[in-house]
Amino acid sequence: MTDSTSQRQPSEAPSLRPVDVLLAEDSRIQARMLERVLTRAGHSVRIAGHGGEATALLAERHPDLIISDIEMPQMDGYAFCKAVKTDPATRQIPLILLSTLSDPVDIIRGLDAGADNYVTKPYDPEYLLARMADLLATPLGGDAEEASLEVTLAGQTFKVKAGRQQVLNLLVSTFENAVAKNRELVVVNRDLSLARDELQRTNEELVGLNERISRINSQMTRDLEAAARVQQSLLPDEAVEVPTIDVAWRYVPCQKLAGDFLNVFQLDAEHVGLFVVDVSGHGVPSSLLAVTVGRFLTPKVSDSSLLLRPDGDSVVITSPADVAAQLNDLFQADEFSGLYFTMAYGVLHVPSGRLRYVSAGHPPLVRVAADGSVEVPESRGFPVGFVPGVEFDGQDLSLAAGDRLFLYSDGVPEAMNAQREQFGEEAMVEVLTRHRTDPLDGSVAALLAEVERWCEPEGPLDDVSILGLEWKASGT
Amino acid sequence: MTTYRKIDVSKVGEVDVAVFKDKKILDEEALDELRTELLGLLGTRAGVDLLLDFSNVEFMSSAMLGLLGVLNRKIVSSKGRLKMCSIRPEIFQVFKLTNLDKLFSIHPDAAAAMAAF
Repeated sequence: MTDSTSQRQPSEAPSLRPVDVLLAEDSRIQARMLERVLTRAGHSVRIAGHGGEATALLAERHPDLIISDIEMPQMDGYAFCKAVKTDPATRQIPLILLSTLSDPVDIIRGLDAGADNYVTKPYDPEYLLARMADLLATPLGGDAEEASLEVTLAGQTFKVKAGRQQVLNLLVSTFENAVAKNRELVVVNRDLSLARDELQRTNEELVGLNERISRINSQMTRDLEAAARVQQSLLPDEAVEVPTIDVAWRYVPCQKLAGDFLNVFQLDAEHVGLFVVDVSGHGVPSSLLAVTVGRFLTPKVSDSSLLLRPDGDSVVITSPADVAAQLNDLFQADEFSGLYFTMAYGVLHVPSGRLRYVSAGHPPLVRVAADGSVEVPESRGFPVGFVPGVEFDGQDLSLAAGDRLFLYSDGVPEAMNAQREQFGEEAMVEVLTRHRTDPLDGSVAALLAEVERWCEPEGPLDDVSILGLEWKASGT
Repeated sequence: MTTYRKIDVSKVGEVDVAVFKDKKILDEEALDELRTELLGLLGTRAGVDLLLDFSNVEFMSSAMLGLLGVLNRKIVSSKGRLKMCSIRPEIFQVFKLTNLDKLFSIHPDAAAAMAAF
């Protein structure tokens, strides 16, 4: 078999009669895998876990072929191979080295050790069987006189003893390996190229989507801000210019759109109205309801206002209880949203200091007198929207000179700190009492500040509304 | 036979009993699902006796009151009766602050509620 130029594919190799194989491989899993391949092809296999064991098995009985791993404990593949190839008794046994061939110098080492063939890991079982067949079909060069060859690799010169047949066998197997690996690489490269194109397309899509999201987001933010401005219009827009009363308020929605709103206004020459409304829930639906309710609570005589009714030439102020009842009929909680609202609405007769009010499911009013005494009258009445046709209790309160009246939303007493504890009605009353000699605006600001401090670091989770009124008595 | 995810439904005599499964009834989605299931349970029937059992509920947003109000209105207007039971003190606060403890029929436990039907 000297036709060294024939290009024979492994698949055309002559089929092999059953042979006895000695396998030196320290990985039990890989040894078992290879054993299965060989026994399925009809061969018999003996396994050694390292070079020393292989040598022993070799001495027991010569195999027809040796397959050896390189990385093995006690005696590696090169050493074992050298031992086999320098012993005249065993030199003729074809030996295949299993190698990762990661370093070109490995080839030199293989030659130097006298290996007949290289098979790189991971290998195709069919390829290995074909290599075996080729090797066994080609008698090894029997010449004991081996030339000492010089070869330069990576700038280094190696001296290697190798027979011509051995060199040819090794060369062919190495080259075949390289070609196979190259073919794999070409396929992988092509797949990689396709994957990269796919990635590029996906990236471009993502950029496009991101831009769309950004535009939609900006639009939504603009819409929310516009809605928030509509809601702001519900708040007091004119200062109440009545010499005998002082008014102060703070309004802090927890999101752009709020469920709370408040107002204080003159109804006529002798009356001032004030209210806090709290719609259940959060966000857009609550805010929409708030704005709608707000339209009915304008202090201007109009078709929609419930607060003032024209009566011939004059204007009649609707009693707070009637206002609540009418709102209740208009705004029964709708089945799909379940939204309702609570409300505290009062009408103050300024000359006398008499307040008529209604509290529909709302936190109770707080009256802080100049002497520091506090009254928190019980709040009666269900929230608006629960019972169709129900009547609301009108309640009365007579203010004395210097009395302060506070309306607020539950965002104040129910404000929660980091430990989920509520601020509490008592704490609220304590703050208002403590600041009773400060200007009214200062005491309202102080209450807000205490609530915000309580809610650190997250801040209030609910809208905060505070409305204060001081009755300075006639003439003062 | 409908499967409910938010309530355990059973029948005790003539009374429909719904036990809330969740410890917390907080967000919009949970409320929406509850609304669908409770209104679905009611269906188009008239004269329904319904008991809502709050044993498992540890936290409830005030928005839930709206749903209870809607349920109450529908049941009462179709000549049925709605009762609630086993409401923890912290949750009961939410009812008290809005005076709704005087609107709804609330009992300490299921036995007391059933006896009152």
